[in-house]
Amino acid sequence: MINLWQAHLSFAMIVFLLLPGFGLSRLWRAVLLAALLAISFIPLDGLTLAAYLRSHIDDLAITTLVFMAWGCLRRLDLLPPAQHGQISVLIIFAAMALLLYPATLGLSYLDPYRFGYSPRILLTFIALLTLGLFYLRHGLAVAMLAGATLAFMFGIKPSHNYWDYLVDPLLGLYCCGALLVLAVRAACRWLIRQRGPAR
Amino acid sequence: MRIRRPRLAVFVTYIALVCLFASVWLTHPAPVHSSFALMSPTMAVANKVAKPIYTSRFASSGLLDFVHSSAVTALPDGSLMSVWFAGTREGAADVQVRSAVFNATTGEWGAERVLATRDSTQQGTRKYIRKLGNPVVALAPDNRLWLFYVSVSMGGWAGSAVNVMVSDDFGENWSAPRQLITSPFLNISTLVRSAPVFHADGSIGLPVYHEFLGKFAEYLYLSPDGNVIDKYRISRGNNSLQPTVVPLDGQRGIALLRYAGETHHRVLATRTEDAGQTWSEPYPLDPSNPNSSLAAVATPEHGLLVALNDLQEGRFKLSLYGTDAKMNDWRSVRDLDKSPDPLGNPFSPQAYKEIIGHEFRDSSGALRQPLEAQFLSNLDTRVCTSRGCEFEYEYPYFIRSPDGMYHLVYSWNNTFIKHVTFNDAWLSERLK
Repeated sequence: MINLWQAHLSFAMIVFLLLPGFGLSRLWRAVLLAALLAISFIPLDGLTLAAYLRSHIDDLAITTLVFMAWGCLRRLDLLPPAQHGQISVLIIFAAMALLLYPATLGLSYLDPYRFGYSPRILLTFIALLTLGLFYLRHGLAVAMLAGATLAFMFGIKPSHNYWDYLVDPLLGLYCCGALLVLAVRAACRWLIRQRGPAR
Repeated sequence: MRIRRPRLAVFVTYIALVCLFASVWLTHPAPVHSSFALMSPTMAVANKVAKPIYTSRFASSGLLDFVHSSAVTALPDGSLMSVWFAGTREGAADVQVRSAVFNATTGEWGAERVLATRDSTQQGTRKYIRKLGNPVVALAPDNRLWLFYVSVSMGGWAGSAVNVMVSDDFGENWSAPRQLITSPFLNISTLVRSAPVFHADGSIGLPVYHEFLGKFAEYLYLSPDGNVIDKYRISRGNNSLQPTVVPLDGQRGIALLRYAGETHHRVLATRTEDAGQTWSEPYPLDPSNPNSSLAAVATPEHGLLVALNDLQEGRFKLSLYGTDAKMNDWRSVRDLDKSPDPLGNPFSPQAYKEIIGHEFRDSSGALRQPLEAQFLSNLDTRVCTSRGCEFEYEYPYFIRSPDGMYHLVYSWNNTFIKHVTFNDAWLSERLK
């Protein structure tokens, strides 16, 4: 029943990260997180609130859980801001999502999801990527990819597909959206700089 | 410069990462794909039955519910189990997956039994379930009985997931339902409709299809314990659904597909030469297909028997055809059920009642004969509109049992599940 524990953790962390800080102290923020975890167990017509959320977002990837755990620890001031690699996280998982999800629409006979059932090629690629990211000291990305691979080794999700440990639509959507926002901001800054000397 | 003298912790982390990925690489080889398991009907028994046999019975017995999407499998004692979904209407929250067992001695179908409900599926999968649909049942070579059916948590049928239940005692007791993980996108948009195919090592080939934006077919490859371990695309694009897969030998097989496009409205076919791993580009066949489900089985002469609505539009006629393995030569075997009007035009309620009453008696058998008056007084708005009352015969599901008999179940005006059975002698006579 690991997937249900995962659902409760997902519920608590998603709501915690979506809520504003309310100016709470670190202790009260921790209490809020614990309260959200407790709320996730509230039953409604035979299912918990976490199960309802899971019905719509399915079981999240392990990478997402690590990413959200990192976000929660940051919110609780237990981790310093990532020194490197936040953008690399966004790029890696946005790229994975863009590679994987359009193919599920059946546009061609190529189905990258299949590589997750016979994962040696994908594993080799992710291993090289993880080692490269570790060399660059992109700790968050390394933790996400290594955590997902460790979880896949022990089969803690019901899926036998490596992809399901690596990426999910929520993570993909978040990374694509965040990259888009960063790109728009960068474009705005560039435009402002271009206008500056003309005045 | 990024390169610095590696500290011990860094070195250990490198080693740990390498060991982690190497371990997973070693413990996760590609699944071995097995050839199709070919069922050889007991020809000795089949040959003894020299007399042509063709009978029909209703498998369902309820009179009030909308019934649809039936499937059937043969059990070792010669009996059959059929499953279908029933409820106030398709997609209603009260839809249940029901079953009945055919007693080979009496030649009658027994009482209905509920196998899965929205609530039982919700409890088993720990997910909110809006509606159920499309059950299929199949007995594996190891005598485990598998039930696959569709459930939806959000949206329409395009948001479907496939659930599985298994029985080790031929349907007396069933495991709790669980969901197969079939898609990376929220595990939605996978539907099942056609008969599973078993492979030589006990693995299960489950023909499925997708309806979310694209409409295409896939072949799920399940381990003998029912976990998805691979999948293969049968078709692509936006015009094919509900593959029915017929193995011809250990490696070769044919999939016939429901055509859901807007161009030619014909049955599609595709072939595999490697037990379902790769499929040829689907191509249209002679028979028409009005975007309706079809079913096929192999015959001893290496041809196919196909049940389908050979119509451009509507489902008012369900026909049985025979074809050769190349699917070039199509011969009509029999119209299994059809509207008396060749164009499927509606009838007045009075005329309809007379026709359907006669058809009911043809298939009711001794057990359901007493239901006739109630059935005729209950003809409801499902079959009748302001235009009149129409006939609908659809969603065939075809098997050949180990004793060589052919069994076909289908939706009979969405009021009953009808079972038609015949033997090779009858078939030979029809194909003369």
